[in-house]
Amino acid sequence: MDSLIIFLVLLSLGYVFGKLAEGRHYRSIHAREEMLVRLPATSCKKPMEHSIPISHAELVHGHVVISVDYFKQMLAGLRNIFGGTIQSYETLLDRARREAILRMKERCPTANQILNLRIETSSISKGGSGDRIGAVEVLAYGTAIYFQQASPSLSHP
Amino acid sequence: MKYQPSLPEHNDNVSHQQPVREFFMLMAGVLAFVLIGYWALGLVVDVAVDYLSPEQEAQLHNTLDIDWDMGEETKPDEQAKLQSLVDSITPCLALPYPITVSLVQSDAVNAIAVPGGKMVVFSGLLDSVSSTNGLMFVLAHELGHFKNRDHLRLMGRGIVLSILAMLALGGDSGFSDILASTINLRTAKYSQTRESQADRTALQALQCHFGHVGGATELFESLKSREEGLSFEMLHYFSSHPELQQRIDNLHQLAKELGFSQQKIQD
Repeated sequence: MDSLIIFLVLLSLGYVFGKLAEGRHYRSIHAREEMLVRLPATSCKKPMEHSIPISHAELVHGHVVISVDYFKQMLAGLRNIFGGTIQSYETLLDRARREAILRMKERCPTANQILNLRIETSSISKGGSGDRIGAVEVLAYGTAIYFQQASPSLSHP
Repeated sequence: MKYQPSLPEHNDNVSHQQPVREFFMLMAGVLAFVLIGYWALGLVVDVAVDYLSPEQEAQLHNTLDIDWDMGEETKPDEQAKLQSLVDSITPCLALPYPITVSLVQSDAVNAIAVPGGKMVVFSGLLDSVSSTNGLMFVLAHELGHFKNRDHLRLMGRGIVLSILAMLALGGDSGFSDILASTINLRTAKYSQTRESQADRTALQALQCHFGHVGGATELFESLKSREEGLSFEMLHYFSSHPELQQRIDNLHQLAKELGFSQQKIQD
């Protein structure tokens, strides 16, 4: 009986605080994506404008570790029995990937483009089947390129 | 190629569904599965019980080693009297092992068949039946549970429930503790068929021992008259218990069917 009460308390705590945290995170993601939308991050290997010479390039990366709440973890556990899409983990991965890309962009706010974008995901789980940590780490990395300042001699040879 | 900065209008990577609803649906599925499992394993227990020898039963009981904790025995004289009554009627039931009686101080009007060949009689019972025949029927009824192995059915279901509980909750404490908490013998009730089967066995034992079944309904008559004297609120509580008149009628009916005579009993 005690474990059932603890379970229900954890479940409702997980639901309420998980929902709050997720809402807050999405608001932050939307605002920052709006701000950084002018810095393209693509998986192209070459810059989109070939004509402009590049002054320098650098490796940039951003990574984030996010955990699911208890409620989502239980929901995923139940899904594990019946099968089907684990919808409760979708927001976790969506947020983690977008956050990692945002952090990467925030490292090079003056860059013109980020090329060769790669995203890697790894799950972090510790402990036995009973109390395992359900968290993902997402790493986004790419090559930030800076165009040469458009000098008069260059633009008008 | 020109890069046009824009953000997607919709997030197609996230399903916008109600997780709480999904949780309850899945939980209901799991519960239904567990209930069906419990019911099906209960039927398996019923079958297995018939194949269990008394030796295996004793072994099982020793292995599980459950502390039933029924209360203190305070009246050795009356307990010895009950023991001799039980011993005298045991041959009529052809029980494969001796039953030990334990008289426990309590207001409860009840007797319980405890796994391991132990019968617990609560002292409240002795105040409700005055005749030997009336008392003997109750004792024979409990012996009937032993003979029909109802205590094993109860314990088997308890084992099934404990295993399911351990699977679901991941039990930290010992299996025996969980088992003891799932089987509450004081409140445990056998199904109506098991009860009337035990009544039948008890009637046959009474006929074998006394040559008639008089006094069989004494306890229920006494409980009924007590119930009639109670106030409305108390009645409400008791009305959740099995219908006494029904039980009395059934016993009379059964005695008639079996051709047993019901002689009047002197106190």
